[in-house]
Amino acid sequence: MNVFSPRQFQTPARDDVWVPSSCSICYGTCSILAHRVDGVVVKIEGNPDSAVGKGRLCGKGVSGIMTHYDPNRLRYPMRRTNPKKGLYQDPGWKRISWEEALDEIAEVLRKVRADDPRKLVVQRTTTVTASRVPFHAFASAFGTPNFSVSGGGQHCGNGAHLISGIMHASWSVVPDFDYCNYAIFFGASKGHSAGHASCSNMGKAADARVRGMKMVVVDPLCNFAAAKATEWVPLRVGTDAALALGMCNVIVNDLGSYDGPYLQAKTNAPYLIGEDKLYVRHAESGKPLVWDLRLNGPRPYDAVAAADMALEGDFMVGEKPCRPAFQCLREHLRKFTPEWAERVSSIPAATVRRLGTEFATEARVGSTIVVDGVTLPYRPVAAIAFRGAQGHRNSVYNFYAVDLLNQLVGAADVVGGCLGFNPTSHGHPDTGRVSYVPSAGPDGLMVVGSWMGYHYPYPPPQPRLPKNLGLQDLFVIGMTSPFLDSVDSEELWTKFEVPYRPEVMINFGANLVMSIANKDAVAESLSRYKFIVSFDLCLTETSNFADILLPDCGYLQSLDSRSNFPFIFSLPGGLGEWCWPIRQPVLPADGEQRQFAEVLLELADRVGFRADLNAAYNAWLDLQPPYRLMGDERYSYENICDRELKNNFGPERGLEWFKSNGVVKWKKKPQEVYWRPFVDVRVPVYWEFLKPIGDKIAAIAAPRGLNVPLEYYDPLPDFLPCRSHCCDKPGFDFYGFYYRDVVHTNSFTMENPWLDEAAQLDPFSYAIAMNRAEARKRGFSDGQMVWVESETGRKVKGRLKLTEGIHPEGLGFAAMCGHWTDGQPIAKGKGVFYNDLLELDWEHASPVNINLDLCVKVRVVAAESAS
Amino acid sequence: MRWGMVIDLKRCIGCYGCQLACKAEHGTPPGVYYARVLKQEDGEYPTVRQLSLPVLCNHCEDPPCVAACPTGASFKSEEDGIVEIDQDLCVGCRSCMMACPYTNRYFNEQPQHYFPQGATPFEQARTERHQQNVVMKCNFCRDRVRAGKPPACVANCPTVARVFGDLDDPTSEVSRLIKERAGFTLHPELGTGPSVYYLPQ
Repeated sequence: MNVFSPRQFQTPARDDVWVPSSCSICYGTCSILAHRVDGVVVKIEGNPDSAVGKGRLCGKGVSGIMTHYDPNRLRYPMRRTNPKKGLYQDPGWKRISWEEALDEIAEVLRKVRADDPRKLVVQRTTTVTASRVPFHAFASAFGTPNFSVSGGGQHCGNGAHLISGIMHASWSVVPDFDYCNYAIFFGASKGHSAGHASCSNMGKAADARVRGMKMVVVDPLCNFAAAKATEWVPLRVGTDAALALGMCNVIVNDLGSYDGPYLQAKTNAPYLIGEDKLYVRHAESGKPLVWDLRLNGPRPYDAVAAADMALEGDFMVGEKPCRPAFQCLREHLRKFTPEWAERVSSIPAATVRRLGTEFATEARVGSTIVVDGVTLPYRPVAAIAFRGAQGHRNSVYNFYAVDLLNQLVGAADVVGGCLGFNPTSHGHPDTGRVSYVPSAGPDGLMVVGSWMGYHYPYPPPQPRLPKNLGLQDLFVIGMTSPFLDSVDSEELWTKFEVPYRPEVMINFGANLVMSIANKDAVAESLSRYKFIVSFDLCLTETSNFADILLPDCGYLQSLDSRSNFPFIFSLPGGLGEWCWPIRQPVLPADGEQRQFAEVLLELADRVGFRADLNAAYNAWLDLQPPYRLMGDERYSYENICDRELKNNFGPERGLEWFKSNGVVKWKKKPQEVYWRPFVDVRVPVYWEFLKPIGDKIAAIAAPRGLNVPLEYYDPLPDFLPCRSHCCDKPGFDFYGFYYRDVVHTNSFTMENPWLDEAAQLDPFSYAIAMNRAEARKRGFSDGQMVWVESETGRKVKGRLKLTEGIHPEGLGFAAMCGHWTDGQPIAKGKGVFYNDLLELDWEHASPVNINLDLCVKVRVVAAESAS
Repeated sequence: MRWGMVIDLKRCIGCYGCQLACKAEHGTPPGVYYARVLKQEDGEYPTVRQLSLPVLCNHCEDPPCVAACPTGASFKSEEDGIVEIDQDLCVGCRSCMMACPYTNRYFNEQPQHYFPQGATPFEQARTERHQQNVVMKCNFCRDRVRAGKPPACVANCPTVARVFGDLDDPTSEVSRLIKERAGFTLHPELGTGPSVYYLPQ
């Protein structure tokens, strides 16, 4: 199957080999070939045999060598000698043996597991996707639901993943670059620096530009995606829903150019809604009713031909007045006039009207196209959103409103439209694995076929008095939670009678002191732990709080059998190939470094829950006989990886086969990529389920003194302001926000000297972007050092970069910079630590999906250059 | 023949992949870039464009650097048009750097490694061929090209913005792209005859 075999380059005389593996400098996990000569990695290139990156890498990917060879890497386990923990306390690290380290950790874990396993918090970075299964399996086998990905979720996609899951059965969405003619991006950079299918999307987006795809980018900052856009539409930070709702109103009420047959067949638009905002249900079956136009009466949704379902009108079911959900949506949208959208977002009403009209016109509602011999719906428009649009208190509605654009014109998972990343897979032709398809769940609404963890986005579980420290079992629409570390966590746990407190943390590579919000809040939270063990590559600001540090192997020294699975995460969407690469060690461990996955297995043995861990691996990897892990047998991680590969691709394609061949791949079918017409599921354009959930949460929270604002749980989206939009303190006239830089990943890569050097040459990477005219008004000059101060007195200092490419009210910060640890001397002092401006509490979280509000109203004052 | 490169600014997203792939290929020391990405903005809010311009040695037909070199260290291969520097002949006078209107030559005088602790195994392996206090620049990845592979920046570009080929061959992809999409060079008024062309945004 694979024409290229790295072995052909191997010469017997010396060590000179290209090893197929996977990148891990960001979670995109592109496929690589690492060139090793005489035991030294001398080059990393993309693996042209893989569909993940297609042989090309971003600047970060090619620079991984310098992360690997960083002399500041940890090489030995260490124990702190200073019992005092604090941001600036020197832990007094002392080298210990692995035996001592594992003994001590196992003893702590044994005690806490016997006492209450939920007292263990397992936390990991999002960067190494290979850590997902080992840590999830460990946590679930140990018996703790308290699992966190540090700033992940809060800072990327609590809203994006939720709504992509509900509406597209995938972790994220992307335009169908192969066929899309008109894409509108809301605070997203897919194809221009974003991590999901990073390099693959860059190539696809470039092809689309050359083909002539128009791209409108809605963003306060004109950078990566906006720089390549046909049109940049600057907006007030965090007001994306206003534009999207204004456009929806234009499409539905001004133009009437929605896709009626799609809405009838593939959404809950025809479901009848009563005055209580809930479905009117069939008395016997409980199924939502629709109005059957042929019989002129109400019938269950699955008993009527889609074309006969009313989308509009006022009806009576018995004594109950009701109307189709679409009619409710249509009426609801009327208030979002372009003039209203202008007041909220600052985007001129004429632009709102024009964008709505362009989107509707370009959608070609009703058209079809033949792809690979299959006739399919053709809707070459896509509305895409990501972090920028949904990193706000109004997280859910911002994203929901944007996706409604796709749903209204039927541009969801059809040719040219907004695609989920691979929500349907029919499996490898030889084995039929891995196979999954979305299915119809409660009320006929779509349940994902594949997911990443936590609960499925739909149906959400019922809210309960929470037992999880993150309160996601109360706020059930949430995924990752800010409440593990928030300043009010103790207050919330007390209010909700959470019967235990966190005591022990296992941290894998996350630098949460920098990656969630202000450092003081997180430091206080970390100080409360009795014991923290942290796997790290280098010392971080967070490892300062650890009791024991474990030196991890880097990605060039590690093994993993599923670099890009689940396919809904980092495998490129759209037509092309299914592809399953692995990661394998190119180099041995240095010093006493050990790969985390092996360490977790050994810890399970020492604590005595290997049987539970084996069972958890069986579930997480879906291992079937004869590859299931049995009893408490002590399998190595290598053995587990081998079993997973054989389980999926047959006994001849185990780890050894993959080590030689790198990837297995097969062609995607149009029925997989454009699955929507082939799968009988509906998605909600009216989120009826939200209201009862809100009511249940309020019923639990209100008596305990927590006010849950129910306007966030209305079934139809709205613009609800962030805290920053409500700040009227004089002098605080900028909306601070941050964005992902193309040469940096989270807070991780500033220590890589090549990337640091590139960032220093870039005009924006380490600076604070301010609109030039606004700066002039205030007497600021380019390069000037300033203090940026939040309403609550939090301050960060940085260098101004004046630009025409930013909204006058915006103040843009790149990445998560501003390190201060001596453990990362290259990173230290570079760039600005934006997150230090962010509050971390209930008041700054979305009351629905508990996403943290990532914008903040600030004032800017000149700093003494010497201070 | 004359090797040349076309960089499609419509495809390029300014990701620095070329700059860093080049660094990895050649192991250039701090401050030395055979390939760089320049960033600039054009226009006024809100009708502004952010532009990325990847640059490298233009391998000019009439290279001013070669004319300025007093020792013959800078030379142009008549065989394929590549402009190179013979490190053994370079005395580090930097006349060529003054002469190059594109500022794509670098003087190697900084420390030869990135981390203060000393050279990494990678740097030990890859920088052994470099000399200090000489001028360095892009050589169109001569070794790769001779081995039948495109230059590292071309091979790596995630947006497939760079194409390498023979400018003397009217049927080559580079010639075709220049003709079909109005390829242009930087500072044509100087008469240097660059072999690096750009396709408009």
